[in-house]
Amino acid sequence: MIVAIDQNLCTGCRECAEVCPAYAIVGEQGQPQTIDVSKCVMCGQCVQKCKSYVSILTHGKDAYEKVKKERKIPDCVQEPLFAAHAVCNIDKVKAAIADPEKFTIVQCAPAVRVAVAEEFGADLGSLTPGKLAAALRAVGFDRIYDTNFPADVTIMEEGTELVKRVTEGGKLPMFTSCCPAWVKFMENNYPEFKDNLSSAKSPQQIGGAIFKTYGAQLENLDGSRIYSVSVMPCTCKEFECERPEMKDSGYRDVDVAITTRDLAWLIKDKQVDWDALEETEFDQPLGVYTGAGTIFGVTGGVMEAAIRTGYELITGQPIPDVEVTAVRGTEGFRTSVLKVGDLDLKVGVVTGLKNVVPVLEAVKNGTLDLHFIEVMTCPEGCVSGGGQPKLLMDLDREEAFAARREATFVHDRELPVRKSHESPAIKKVYEEFLEEPGSHIAHHLLHTEYCIG
Amino acid sequence: MKKEIGSFVVGDSTKCTGCKACELACFTVHSRKENPVGKTVGTVTVPVTPRLYLTKFEGGCMPIQCKHCEDAPCLNACTKKAITRIDHQVIVDQEKCIGCKDCMQACPFGAIALLPVSKGGKVVAQVSGETRVYASKCDLCQGIEGGPACVRVCPHQALRLVDPEAEREEKNIRAAEALLLTKNWR
Repeated sequence: MIVAIDQNLCTGCRECAEVCPAYAIVGEQGQPQTIDVSKCVMCGQCVQKCKSYVSILTHGKDAYEKVKKERKIPDCVQEPLFAAHAVCNIDKVKAAIADPEKFTIVQCAPAVRVAVAEEFGADLGSLTPGKLAAALRAVGFDRIYDTNFPADVTIMEEGTELVKRVTEGGKLPMFTSCCPAWVKFMENNYPEFKDNLSSAKSPQQIGGAIFKTYGAQLENLDGSRIYSVSVMPCTCKEFECERPEMKDSGYRDVDVAITTRDLAWLIKDKQVDWDALEETEFDQPLGVYTGAGTIFGVTGGVMEAAIRTGYELITGQPIPDVEVTAVRGTEGFRTSVLKVGDLDLKVGVVTGLKNVVPVLEAVKNGTLDLHFIEVMTCPEGCVSGGGQPKLLMDLDREEAFAARREATFVHDRELPVRKSHESPAIKKVYEEFLEEPGSHIAHHLLHTEYCIG
Repeated sequence: MKKEIGSFVVGDSTKCTGCKACELACFTVHSRKENPVGKTVGTVTVPVTPRLYLTKFEGGCMPIQCKHCEDAPCLNACTKKAITRIDHQVIVDQEKCIGCKDCMQACPFGAIALLPVSKGGKVVAQVSGETRVYASKCDLCQGIEGGPACVRVCPHQALRLVDPEAEREEKNIRAAEALLLTKNWR
């Protein structure tokens, strides 16, 4: 169980069913709802929506502590708990940190650094990469790496794959594969598109596979000693890391995924004073990243990052303007045609999983002709993910998403390197370990197949 | 015309789904006055104490809240003078309230509940060590920007701020216009 609805707490309002993109929430109006696990894509949008809290009046004085214990939420937490909730794996993380035999490596997704501070009272969309790194260190992780680094690797692999499919003739349109809820949805409902998905793993899984191989070499450790934790804005990332095939490092590539909200709990549990934290850097070399890596957190970001590199791969020239504003936006589906040398690259961006259905149908019946389509399940990409800080009032949603989005673009603009292929850390990992994009070892560690479960 | 009687918020059970967004918003805007409550759930460190109460009944559900009665039984019942009328609204002074429940008994709508007092992000204890409670009821978001939070957050517009005198006048006008139409047929 990754996402569930507590039968004792649910009022049966079915507001969650309204936002569920997989129509997985079943029940009569006014009666407690259940999740049809065969349909659920674990995106956690129901968790974000649910307001049916554990109430002193309705459920009694002792109910709160009981629910907290059942969900293995740290004792220090006193915030409202709701009927729709995601699994909390903090106990596993704490046990790994406390185990002297384990070398803990943590990675954080791009959207975490523009949202986690909200849980400590900061303004919506506060950009805090330095505090985030410091907090992870204070919590006790041995290496503070970052998902933005493997996001840059994703671009090298996925960008190369796209160029190959476009120039040499391959299955098109190619779909992005970083969003595990989208991948699950495709597998459940449109398996005929499995070869359209990029074979590149998501940044989380690429990070996991590299940390337990190359990362282990850097520490002179056996990969078996590494415990790999990821902090994600996403409830579905735990499902992704539990997929049986995600063990190409020879071990479980990512041992556990926790959410942005879970991380805030962990920081509080460890009694780390967020406000007093001095900013620090992520660890080198697997925590070094570019602007392209960080924009993965917003809708259109993977597309933009891929184009920044793909343009140069195809034309041999750097892209005239690093900001590919044509693919930015928040509409559920948007398309554009980009001039890449002699090629008119036709791209589409889908955000909000419900919007992918007409797109897939149009591709199927031949009325939509595109080369590359990015798909993100959550309303405005990962910044609005199911594992992000939850708003007390939905009136603040628009402001929160806009602020987190803007902070992501600010971060991109401020980073010294903004294209994945120009990153010194990327050059180093390919020189020393991965050889080249799509190499035998890259293929073994960083690529996957779909519909095999 | 000078406003002579008080407004109140009323729910509509034909629109309400029972989501409790109103209760959570009510708690959020009120608790911010004395607690460090931000915009996200993680900033909350105290129990949720709403001032309106989602009520389920055989025919459906809706939130129930204070009608700000003009001859308010709660106000009349309060021996500690903790309930007063301010700008037409019936308001509880949390500091004066001793949690005697007389107002709860007096209220014909069940619009008052006894809930914990929280300040500075912590539940307040009595001298005895027990949690202090107070009569929690709607104050029509007095002093809160934007007016009643419950009305603002309801995803189905199932809550409405009623100005009874203005609504009565409007109904009078509609009635007069209807009567004018009937005159043509006489």
